[in-house]
Amino acid sequence: MRWLPALLSASLFAAGSFAAKKSSEERFAEFHAKQTSHAPVKLTDVSFKSLTTAPRDYSVAVILTALDARYGCQLCREFQPEWELLSKSWVKGDKSAESRLVFGSLDFGDGRETFMGFGLQTAPVLFFFPPTAGPHAAASPEPIRYDFTNGPVPAEMMHSWLVRHLDGRPHPPVKRPVDYLKWAVSFTMITGSLTGVYVLWPYVVPVIQNRNVWAAFTLIAILLFTSGHMFNQIRKVPYVANNPRGGVSYFAAGFQNQYGMETQVVAALYGILSFAAISLAVKVPRIADPRSQVITVWAWSGIILVVYSFLLSVFRVKNAGYPFYLPPFM
Amino acid sequence: MDQSVNDSEPLQQPAPPRGSTNHQITAIMSADSLERLAVAGKGDSTRTLLRVIILLLIAGAAISSRLFSVIRFESIIHEFDPWFNFRATKYLVANGFYKFWDWFDDRTWHPLGRVTGGTLYPGLMVTSGVIYHALRALSIPVDIRNVCVLLAPAFSGLTAYAAYLLTNEMTPSSSAGLLAAIFMGIAPGYISRSVAGSYDNEAIAIFLLVFTFYLWIKALKLGSMLWGALCALFYGYMVASWGGYAFITCLLPLHAFVLICMGRYSTRLYVSYTSWYALGTLASMQIPFVGFLPVKTSEHMPALGIFGFLQLLAFLDYVRSAIPSRQFQTFLWVFAGSVFGIGLTGLVIATSAGYIAPWGGRFYSLWDTGYAKIHIPIIASVSEHQPTAWPAFFFDLNMLIWLLPAGIYLCYQKLADEHVFVIVYALFGSYFAGVMVRLMLTLTPVVCVAAAIALSTILDTYLKAKSPIPEEHLVEEPTDGTSKKVSKPGLRASSKPYIGIYATFSKVTVAGAMTAYLLMFVAHCTWVTSNAYSSPSVVLASRMPDGSQHIIDDYREAYQWLRQNTKDDAKIMSWWDYGYQIGGMADRPTLVDNNTWNNTHIATVGKAMASREEVSYPIMRQHEVDYILVVFGGLLGYSGDDINKFLWMVRIAEGIWPDEVKEREFFTPRGEYRVDAGATDTMKNSLMYKMSYHNYNNLFPPGQAQDRVRGVRLPDDGGPVLNSIEEAFTSENWIIRIYKVKDLDNLGRDHASASAFERGQKKKKVIKKKGPRVLRVD
Repeated sequence: MRWLPALLSASLFAAGSFAAKKSSEERFAEFHAKQTSHAPVKLTDVSFKSLTTAPRDYSVAVILTALDARYGCQLCREFQPEWELLSKSWVKGDKSAESRLVFGSLDFGDGRETFMGFGLQTAPVLFFFPPTAGPHAAASPEPIRYDFTNGPVPAEMMHSWLVRHLDGRPHPPVKRPVDYLKWAVSFTMITGSLTGVYVLWPYVVPVIQNRNVWAAFTLIAILLFTSGHMFNQIRKVPYVANNPRGGVSYFAAGFQNQYGMETQVVAALYGILSFAAISLAVKVPRIADPRSQVITVWAWSGIILVVYSFLLSVFRVKNAGYPFYLPPFM
Repeated sequence: MDQSVNDSEPLQQPAPPRGSTNHQITAIMSADSLERLAVAGKGDSTRTLLRVIILLLIAGAAISSRLFSVIRFESIIHEFDPWFNFRATKYLVANGFYKFWDWFDDRTWHPLGRVTGGTLYPGLMVTSGVIYHALRALSIPVDIRNVCVLLAPAFSGLTAYAAYLLTNEMTPSSSAGLLAAIFMGIAPGYISRSVAGSYDNEAIAIFLLVFTFYLWIKALKLGSMLWGALCALFYGYMVASWGGYAFITCLLPLHAFVLICMGRYSTRLYVSYTSWYALGTLASMQIPFVGFLPVKTSEHMPALGIFGFLQLLAFLDYVRSAIPSRQFQTFLWVFAGSVFGIGLTGLVIATSAGYIAPWGGRFYSLWDTGYAKIHIPIIASVSEHQPTAWPAFFFDLNMLIWLLPAGIYLCYQKLADEHVFVIVYALFGSYFAGVMVRLMLTLTPVVCVAAAIALSTILDTYLKAKSPIPEEHLVEEPTDGTSKKVSKPGLRASSKPYIGIYATFSKVTVAGAMTAYLLMFVAHCTWVTSNAYSSPSVVLASRMPDGSQHIIDDYREAYQWLRQNTKDDAKIMSWWDYGYQIGGMADRPTLVDNNTWNNTHIATVGKAMASREEVSYPIMRQHEVDYILVVFGGLLGYSGDDINKFLWMVRIAEGIWPDEVKEREFFTPRGEYRVDAGATDTMKNSLMYKMSYHNYNNLFPPGQAQDRVRGVRLPDDGGPVLNSIEEAFTSENWIIRIYKVKDLDNLGRDHASASAFERGQKKKKVIKKKGPRVLRVD
């Protein structure tokens, strides 16, 4: 129990106010004690200032984040569990605190002044404060900033970033805890579904062997892919967007751009056109009654004309110079 | 396979009763069609003649629609990669095949060089070399450049013919093949990579792709070793031509696997697959660039796995025919299934243990679509590796895109082995095309085939002059029990008996409408080809106010300047996009080029461009750089310039030197990418920014300097000052700017102070504090 004396000293000093100037050694002991019980240390304006005061013989890594749902910071909430995982496994792997690194987390709600002090307009931002004293002292006391410009970062990548600034000190690896629940759930699911398939085999077989089911599956998949569904998946486009006039625009301007709803409309148009073509090719010649056949032919031909014309008009929205059109959507 | 567990028929007759009826139908149908074809061939030779004429006309249309750029500009090689292929072809023609095979190129990737002969796909160059020598042998004097420029259009005619053959294997209707041929000939999705001058691997690869598929279907249908060997031969040619051969390598095993799962294992499948795989793999291993990859990397493993699995199935099939016991057969199937499972697990373990290379980055990023963006920015930076938005599909395929699902549905109606192939191909082709714009090219053939099947069914139905008599069918229908029984395994829509179209009016309506849509399709294709795909991008065209065409030829002007004014071995540094063009047109060594095999080297160039002069200069000295070439579109409003690509240079450099180059520092605190007065200091001091805007102010009245791409006014501070490099050349419209790297200063000063001296700024003397004078006292 090597952390016990540290805890003891920390509890002793916790009684004293922050205003009292403490030595770098004491401050580290205090915050390290905190992070051994709960990493990362939850900071406020005051404790942040105390932690990062200039003569320090330890390093600090603080994430400045905005977790409250009011700020709608998706990235903050996505990164927070990774940050906790990294700090926990680091603190656990470095019980004797040889790396002398304190993990902190400062929420916007607790640290408005700090955010203003750094002039931050976005969150999350990670600051790494190198030590200013001791064997690993950095030339400049200024913190090194990490911006999450490329989206959420897994704990391992964050780890390697930290390691770059902590040479010569131990680097406990990130240990993802084994998710026993997940294993149990997936095991149960697999055995369950195997049993289900075994029991329901006589009923499943007709479905697997049913051509209509496979045809429907294939056609839907092809329609999704050819209407730009993968683009939505990869680029994470909005479903619809607000336009400057206060309304809602369903179609994105520009050839290389699209909205979620737009692709659904296009997929539906393609689907209707395909279905009409299938009907004309397969169903209509099998209608025995001449009168209903004529009506059906007319109906499907009309549908193709109208829908194709609409499709062309939608395409003209995307590509302004496109010269072709069909009535009625000119 | 699953179905056969509770079934005991011998394997040759496909196990479930549903499947067997289906096979009989197909057999009857194909026999019927063969007979009909034979009759048409013997009795009606005009039909054959017509077909030949139509195919020739289609080839003519396919070729002529690709000649826009030759007519508008001149016979010139386009874009970027074709310049390398052209240069390699010239080397091949000049030095012969064996020298080409062992070619070590020391004029690229300075100072590393590139083992070019061992790292390229030689199919394209060898093809044009053969054509060139053949024409010479026929004493037709032809320039190698013209062979290269016109190779792609010529092969598009062959592709149309291959599409005709492939489609004829799918349907008895002979019009479908012709429709597929014309679709293939003029579909913009294929034209985009095969206009005259687009001398790239895809120019011949698409023909090889379609033809290999045709041979595969033929081999599978006949169970013929000869056709299988032919398929392997063309597969080998394909491997020699394009990296996209992996598409075939994965699609054929997938098709075989789906057939096995449907309980359609047959000796035909065994013969065709094994002969293709064994010979094809041997052929592919002859290419130095491929070498032992087919037995070492993950993307080739499905083919190997299915090959092994087929051996097992063949063995089990043999044992089964010898011992007709039900329990034993169940045991065998369980055995086969478990061997498959164990093999798959073994593959996964071998991959994770490192014996089999995991999927290459490009292939892997097709599945895990976020992978490239995080790990390999150089793949993500290429515009043709971006996902495809829907307008691109419609732009490239027009009405075919909505005929595709209809054609696939019709394939389900018959569902013979070859139709399964079209379905599998369409499904995966559309997925890949959705993930990567470039793979629209592999989707186009199947879209043409499926759309032709759908359209020909419609046209065949509505163009039949003979109408059925209503009363006959009305009476006949309810008692027609046999037809129902036969069509049971098919789709619901086709369960009723086929009658035909009664009214002439309906026929005229549908046929007329379809003709109108087809005419519009032709107009669309011509418009797209002429407007979007026929620009060489080396030469730009613009319109003058009076409507006349104005040619902007800055690229060639600058490359010609390099060729005539620099030493033969002057090293040119530029972003990798222009490496091939400098090699091809200026004939000067480059640091990096479009063959992006060495990410670190590219990142080095990125770092030199993105850093301060003091940092860049030592890098350039180390790499013996003599000239730097940048592309700047600010004067003309040309948006594909280096400042717009600059962030990728930063990102790629940051991937290697995260502590020295930081993307964040090129953005203002508000997260904007700016080049005007509000730009960050890092941006303003970067070599790329300085080179782009050096002396740009002098073109405008004071304070009026404007960047027309970014649409901003530049700061009025005299423009950036360059110390360690000097402007050597700027093209007419300022698109290309070339700078010369200065030698070390003669007097040993650093460049900043040397150039400050030359500008006449006096070096500020450091006045030494001497302290008050003290009177010397003796």
